[in-house]
Amino acid sequence: MFRLSYVLRVAVAVVVAIAGVAMVRGRGVGGEARASSVARTTMEKLGYRPLGDPTAVFEGDQELAWALERARPGPSGVGLARGEGGALRWRVVFPGGGEVQVTVDGLVWSLRRPVPSAPGPDLFPSLARARVEAAVAAAVTDPAEWHLVRAQSWREGGHTWERAWYVGGAGPLPSGWRRELELEMAGSTVVSWRRSVHPLGTDLGVVTGRMAELRTLRRPAMLGLAILVIGVLVAGAEAVAYRESLAPVRGIAYGLVTAFAGSFAADTLTSAPVQGVVLALVVAVLPVWTELPTSRLHLGAAAGVALAGVTIAGRAIILGMGGWAPVTSPVPADMSAGRLLAESWAPALVEEPLLRGALPALAAPVVGWWGAALLAAPIGALLHPVPSVPVLASIGLELVLQAGLAVVARYAGIGGAVLARGTCEALVRRASFPAGTEWDRFALLGVAVGTVLLLWPRRRE
Amino acid sequence: MRLAAGGAAAVVIAAAAIWLPVPRRGAPAPWSAAAAAERAERELPALGVLWGKVRGWERVGAGWTVSWQPTHGMWLVRAWVPDAPRAVRWRIEAASWLPGVRLTMRAARALVEADGGLAQERDRLGRRDWLVGGAALLGALPAGRELPVHPTPRRPWLEAVLVGLLVAGAAARHLVPGTPSRGWRHAVSWSGVCLIALTPWLAALARPVFRTGVRPWVAELAFGTAATVVLGALLFGARRFPAIAGSAPAAWLPAALGAGVLMGRLEPAEWLVSVAGLTLRLPALAAAAVIGGWVVALASDGLRELLRPVGASRRLVLAAVGVGAVAAAGPWIAVAVAIVLAAAFERGRGTWITTAVVSGWVVGSLLALVEWEAALRDAFVLLVAASAVAAVAALARTGAAVEAAES
Repeated sequence: MFRLSYVLRVAVAVVVAIAGVAMVRGRGVGGEARASSVARTTMEKLGYRPLGDPTAVFEGDQELAWALERARPGPSGVGLARGEGGALRWRVVFPGGGEVQVTVDGLVWSLRRPVPSAPGPDLFPSLARARVEAAVAAAVTDPAEWHLVRAQSWREGGHTWERAWYVGGAGPLPSGWRRELELEMAGSTVVSWRRSVHPLGTDLGVVTGRMAELRTLRRPAMLGLAILVIGVLVAGAEAVAYRESLAPVRGIAYGLVTAFAGSFAADTLTSAPVQGVVLALVVAVLPVWTELPTSRLHLGAAAGVALAGVTIAGRAIILGMGGWAPVTSPVPADMSAGRLLAESWAPALVEEPLLRGALPALAAPVVGWWGAALLAAPIGALLHPVPSVPVLASIGLELVLQAGLAVVARYAGIGGAVLARGTCEALVRRASFPAGTEWDRFALLGVAVGTVLLLWPRRRE
Repeated sequence: MRLAAGGAAAVVIAAAAIWLPVPRRGAPAPWSAAAAAERAERELPALGVLWGKVRGWERVGAGWTVSWQPTHGMWLVRAWVPDAPRAVRWRIEAASWLPGVRLTMRAARALVEADGGLAQERDRLGRRDWLVGGAALLGALPAGRELPVHPTPRRPWLEAVLVGLLVAGAAARHLVPGTPSRGWRHAVSWSGVCLIALTPWLAALARPVFRTGVRPWVAELAFGTAATVVLGALLFGARRFPAIAGSAPAAWLPAALGAGVLMGRLEPAEWLVSVAGLTLRLPALAAAAVIGGWVVALASDGLRELLRPVGASRRLVLAAVGVGAVAAAGPWIAVAVAIVLAAAFERGRGTWITTAVVSGWVVGSLLALVEWEAALRDAFVLLVAASAVAAVAALARTGAAVEAAES
């Protein structure tokens, strides 16, 4: 019997590992190497040979990308966000001077080269126009669509500078959108250009409106968490009054880890210490609630992989049913391993002990464990949904995730829920970060821990 | 006979509290928010957009600020309608991403206060500006006048004291448990359920929750969720820290009710005037009074336990605290009086006293703040209901005393 159970665990570990790797493989923002090569080639075409190996930083315009996806549903919208829409770009900076923005699909979005000491002879306006048009033809894929709307020229630093503004209509972008290009020449050398996109207000509004609505809906969830923290405070005071056994050392350690993780996450820099203190209190009080299920960490990662699969499939289902859910992942504030780990694990460390530990423990005497778990689900569902059309679709998807975490907490305890949530978040958020195996490793941290725990031989009971 | 006597005593004391002359604090609202909204719709220019439904209101100074928003939520029209026959002030805000929104010619003319005879408007399409006579109205939206805002004077130390008393009360009920009152638990629970059921209407009181770019049903959902979370926490508190069972202090209930009415007239709770604008104001006010009574009773339990060490001089200390509270509490005067009064009674009677004071406070505030007939009628209905409860309590107490004597 024991041997059969271990064989089952090995089988689960193998499935979890394969599923985890399959989920991160090929995901992530690509095009970094191509961006560097395109940037160098473009600079060389302009007669400037950049020195040194460039550094590439990913930049994204979140609202623009999602507005394009919303306006042009399906793969074409995603393609526009990565290409002609210019929503997802690599900023390539050469150490010897020169900077180019290249879209993920390899389109040069903006360029700035050092002004040469001898930029060529100053041009008469008529000659300058021909030169500018030739430069524009090299900068865009459909030059016939573009026309000059304004030009300017001035003397500076002993050279004549020319600046021209072009408008390219909608082109491949959705109807009502507008493309613009601003180009500068010093003497007879093109020194910079920059493209921009003006979205149709209503297309952008659908996305920004949904984001504002979700921010509004997040407030009651935060209020719920605040009330929950008050309940934990009262429970802690009672525990001290009745001299019940607490876990202060474990609480302090957990609080420090939470504060450390939160300090790397996007919007929690100031609140990280507060979260650390609150979570220290919650974890210290947990032993008082003896009816909480025991933690079984080895089940957590497997559940996390399953929940990540549900989340990814859920967005596809929303799209398939005619709704809209963003394909492009949320753009992180910066690209670092610390950010990936913090954004994945900070919500797990902060929210799971509260929603799957404190709330069920406090409310279970009144509404039962499952009733309390169902109370926690809507609160958790309102904390992090991404915009969708209809807006209730993404909240519903989050609700499914929260219900899944409640089930995990019931059978694997709070520790299992933390591991499941962290693993799930890391696998889902993997797509926001650059492609590459080193990033995959960070995303698979929870899966690796779960696999080791599953394979770890346990004592015969 | 006893029932009638108890009811009559309550009515007489309440009537005395109503007719006793007190200094007035500003003019009461002569009409409801709905009437103010009708006036604004009648008097203001169309602004070139569909206003949508009335979403919320707030009493600001001597007038009502009313908000309209269409279902798509792309813009928000607000107007301040003064009680006096002066011009209605308005303001329109649109979502920043919305293109091409601009005022109508009439609205632009109204804004620059040009009379209709000039008619020299020029529509500068590129700039979305209006040139009206010699005045230029630059840009499009937001447009309109700054609306008056309601000052929200806060008394943080009073709030802190109240929170401290609530925590002390919760600890007292938990550490020194008594027999929980089933009746009060049901009353508080059903009041909470009633308020949760009323949240679609109560959302009108949460005017700031309606913002441009957010559809009104989402704003209402957010408010409803927040209200449900808070009321759910209160219901949980009512079960965890229940009111203690005890007989009603029948002789004191009319006095508590009258004191509440008087406090309400002296220092009315100004937020109640917005509640009075609701169609379903009566159940909302009654439920708020019951829940408020339970919360204040919890705080009074805290005060009672905190004063327990002073022993025999407790009543003296309570009297001193009461005098201090009346002097310093300002708009919290009724709450402070209720806490001190209830702390003077034994635990089982405190919730009766506080609920009577809070009910009277609600009635007194409405009498001081509103002038339109429907709200005054409902205030009197609430007063009669509270008096009836006091009368029934007197009857029940008499019956219990008779039974005890016979046995």
